[in-house]
Amino acid sequence: MVDWQVIIKEHGPVVWQTAYRLLGNHADAADCFQETFVSALEFCRRQRVRNFPALLTRLATARAIDQLRRRFRRSRPETNSANWVALQSTNPSPAESMQQKELTDGLRKSLSKLPPQEAQAFCLRYLNDMSYREIANELDIKTNAAGVLLHRARAKLRESFELSVKEYK
Amino acid sequence: MEENENTLDKAIEALKNEQIPPGPPQEVVKTTITKLAETAGQPDTVKLDNRIRIIEWLKAAKSLTKIAAAAVLLIAAGYATGRLSGPQPPDMAQIQAALEPKIRQNLLDETKQYMQLGLAKSYIRIKDELSQQYREDLNRVALQSVAASNAVTNDLLTELIESFNEAQNQERQRIVAALDQIESNQLHDRNQFGNALATLALQTEDEFIRTKQDMAHFLSNTQPGQSNQDEIINSEN
Repeated sequence: MVDWQVIIKEHGPVVWQTAYRLLGNHADAADCFQETFVSALEFCRRQRVRNFPALLTRLATARAIDQLRRRFRRSRPETNSANWVALQSTNPSPAESMQQKELTDGLRKSLSKLPPQEAQAFCLRYLNDMSYREIANELDIKTNAAGVLLHRARAKLRESFELSVKEYK
Repeated sequence: MEENENTLDKAIEALKNEQIPPGPPQEVVKTTITKLAETAGQPDTVKLDNRIRIIEWLKAAKSLTKIAAAAVLLIAAGYATGRLSGPQPPDMAQIQAALEPKIRQNLLDETKQYMQLGLAKSYIRIKDELSQQYREDLNRVALQSVAASNAVTNDLLTELIESFNEAQNQERQRIVAALDQIESNQLHDRNQFGNALATLALQTEDEFIRTKQDMAHFLSNTQPGQSNQDEIINSEN
């Protein structure tokens, strides 16, 4: 029997950081947080979990990407829901803040256009610093396949990223 | 292309370093726990253990299926190979006739090889033993030869020393004899010389006396005074 309160207490911050980093605002991150743990509960009903942090990180990434996809499908302007307080606290100048915001939003938009598995592999590798083997374990694929996914994701992002940034402008 | 790569790296870096407010907030945690409780309360059609067992069984069955398929293929291939390459029902007499000379030859070859091997080993062992014995004999003979030659050399040296001593003695005696001879010769010569001197002195004296007489006689004959002659005679006296 899994004690979810303990799980949330131990691994909640990691899930929150993963969700918030990808979504960039409080409301979406909170939704993603809930969805992640509900997904984890459903996963636990099907299989035994050997590595909760990795599972929760993957689920949070997957849910966050789903949300990103929904968000950009609706084409809702993000400036309304952006956390301007956080931006002001991190960046020294408004111009740099704006530039960083453009970059991160462009990357989010590009990620939302990737196939889900590639986007997950990319986020787990570059945002959560997971190894190829860990990614392969979490996505239930071989290590080589994880490498292929990452290569494809990076290539697609490279192609579409600049365009995405321009469109966002 | 490279610019895009740099931009992508920058974007990754920016997203990674984006300031995230500490969390999760308490209200989100509470909501999540409530939602989890609701979801956990919903009936599940299949229990976890059964589901896990079925999944594990399916996984095992998947790998077992592969192994079974591989085994069936292997058996079929082996059977086909054996069937195709196998001989007709054998004729025992023919097989025996065919195999006997070969087996005999093999046996002979093996025996020959074994004997050759044994002989080679014996040859090497005997060779080593003989070499050892020869070396020992050679050492013993050499030691004996050296000892004998030492004895002979010592005898010869002794004889040589003795002959040297004898020769020295003879030489010494010869020298002594020569010295004696020289001394006796000296004495003889001295005596002869003395006698000769005495004889010479006597003859000289006689001659002198006679000369003096002749002179006196001559003077007496040539000078009128008798005194001169007497003076000469007195002076002689």
